[in-house]
Amino acid sequence: MLQTQELQVNIGPQHPSTHGVFRMLVTVDGETVVDLKPVFGYLHRNHEQIAEANTYLQNMPYTDRLDYFNSMANNHAYAMAVERLAGIEVPERAEYIRVLMVELTRILNHASAVGFMINDMGAWQTPLAFGMREREKILDLFEMASGARLMCNYFRFGGVARDLPPEFIPNLRELLVALPAYIDELERLLRDNEILLQRAVGIGILPREVALSYGVTGPVLRGSGIPYDVRKAEPYSVYDRFDFDIPIGKVGDVYDRFLVRIEEMRQSKRIIEQVLEQLPDAKGGHINPKARQNVRPPVGDAYARIESPKGELGFYLVSDGSGKPYRYKVRAPSFINLTPLADMCRGYKVADIVVILGSIDIVMGEVDR
Amino acid sequence: MMEPPFEIEIPRGRVIEVQRDDSRVRRGGGLLRGMAVIWKHWKESFRLNRSYSQIHGTFTIQYPEEKPRIPEAYRNMPILLYDDETGHELCTSCFQCERICPPQVIHMTQAKDPATGKPVPAVAEFIIEYDACMSCGFCAEVCPFDAIKMDHEFELSTDDHAQLTVHKAQLNRPISYYASIAPTMWAEVRESALKKLQGNIRRRPDVIGIAPHLTERIAARRAELAAQAAAPSPAAEPASPPAPSAPTEARKLTPEEKAAKLAAIRAAKAAQAGDGVTPSAEGGTPAEAPPADDKAARLAAIRAANAAKKAAATDAAPAATGEPTTPTPADDKAARLAAIRAANAAKRKQAADSVDTEEGS
Repeated sequence: MLQTQELQVNIGPQHPSTHGVFRMLVTVDGETVVDLKPVFGYLHRNHEQIAEANTYLQNMPYTDRLDYFNSMANNHAYAMAVERLAGIEVPERAEYIRVLMVELTRILNHASAVGFMINDMGAWQTPLAFGMREREKILDLFEMASGARLMCNYFRFGGVARDLPPEFIPNLRELLVALPAYIDELERLLRDNEILLQRAVGIGILPREVALSYGVTGPVLRGSGIPYDVRKAEPYSVYDRFDFDIPIGKVGDVYDRFLVRIEEMRQSKRIIEQVLEQLPDAKGGHINPKARQNVRPPVGDAYARIESPKGELGFYLVSDGSGKPYRYKVRAPSFINLTPLADMCRGYKVADIVVILGSIDIVMGEVDR
Repeated sequence: MMEPPFEIEIPRGRVIEVQRDDSRVRRGGGLLRGMAVIWKHWKESFRLNRSYSQIHGTFTIQYPEEKPRIPEAYRNMPILLYDDETGHELCTSCFQCERICPPQVIHMTQAKDPATGKPVPAVAEFIIEYDACMSCGFCAEVCPFDAIKMDHEFELSTDDHAQLTVHKAQLNRPISYYASIAPTMWAEVRESALKKLQGNIRRRPDVIGIAPHLTERIAARRAELAAQAAAPSPAAEPASPPAPSAPTEARKLTPEEKAAKLAAIRAAKAAQAGDGVTPSAEGGTPAEAPPADDKAARLAAIRAANAAKKAAATDAAPAATGEPTTPTPADDKAARLAAIRAANAAKRKQAADSVDTEEGS
């Protein structure tokens, strides 16, 4: 009988597949994962403490840097929290612009998330380039509106920083012509690929009950078959005015998450089309002119949550009546979705860890804060 | 096959289950379909296509040779604006940007009148640490004078770290530069920015608030003009009453004109006071006259303007009830400032008196 022994292996913190600085302490029995301990905190930069030393408005650019793929979504959640705290009204047009930006962000995020996941499977660069291509065009649109591609800092309390420039809508309409073909192509490129099926089907299964008990949200939860989406469960902004479907998976494996993301891109495109229909009739300007940016909210607390592309993103703010938040807490979807990693990886091979991690779609900037 | 988890009616939509097609047998067909996509893209990649509505073709920008198209709203690093004509900087060192800057990289000191030591609405030194700037654009957003704007320049790399602490001399850009990179955004604020600037120029003595690289040029020009104005001082006497009309014109004054006017006033005063009292006024260069003189002249001008205005108001008051005289804001402001200053002086005097009496008792 061969003498075997369990071995502890560190994957990360400096590892190309870990999407940042993230360490996994893996106990392996041969190639099989016996246990996994995620270790994070390497990218900790005191986000919440800095926020408590800043004024409310000064925090807006810092939220960009949480999940740097989705700065618009982070802005939205934070702006909503402060607006709830200070009782600021948002004009209709501003709400539509916000929804438009966040849905564009969702397409951008899912396209690159799929690309990175395939990249982690070993299809180096080519599918990633496909995932990134439309992202570039969306970033161009962001640049037109907000002035920056990634760190948009576009939202303000009571609206957005400036109205859409005249060239934005025509360019967006052109992009919408390309999007269905693009999403179909991305799906055709990968969906039936035998290598992807081998690496994705039945891998990293997250059962429904486990997902619920960990508080997982977003495409990971929907991939496990639970139709929970904050946009439907608690419609914020103007999401109750749009028709869109919630895609869910059957099994809860890597393949389901991949398919859910592809489908969500289609639904986001549907929402954007409806926004463009309704935007011209929307009342008000891009910002509430009465909203002060140097807010001093009354004593109290507020929690606002949105369906960020990665899951439920929430900001909890406590005000002591001064111009700075007394407590500032981020409910980061990446962080919470990462916690069941051990349960998802147990029993699979070492090579699957990388794929499973890629399918959760984490950004370390948001995990560690 | 699992059953669909729940049947839920959700408002304005459905819960749809993704199609997995697990059961279909594949023998490399999926792989070939993917290859077909890549083949098509490879074939099309020789064609340049930058349309947003196309998914094929390459839209790569050959960067160093070809610059990217930058939208107007693009923001990279903050810059300071100054007026092309007069060289006056728009910044008044109100400290708004320093206060809002999230990473606290803006530092400035307010300019002081060398004669009185009182702060004037101009900036002496302005430093931005470019290396720590997060390009959020808040400084440009809060600036009430539109003095700080976001530049489009992005090739900032340098091998010297110290160069990224940028001083006012390197931050200064003419308004025409900003108007060229962001025409519509400048057009929106142009009116109010220039109006505010003219208001501030009037409160800036000498060359304070002029972009450093233009200071010498403008000072030289001023001295030249002043010399011209001072030389025929007795002949300039008939032209001496410009004092009352000065404030109304002041809004459009360039520094050269201003200097000339000041010199004229000074010359007129000197002529009035008699040749024996200020012999230096004719012989010496008036531009180097002590700043106190300068100040006195200005005060005199303001006082004269006030007197003229008061007279005009009393004249107009009985007659023009239907159409109230609307003094230009600049006039109004100058008058109010003078009034405030007089009130302050009176108060100070009173306070001093009361202290004296207290000490005396």
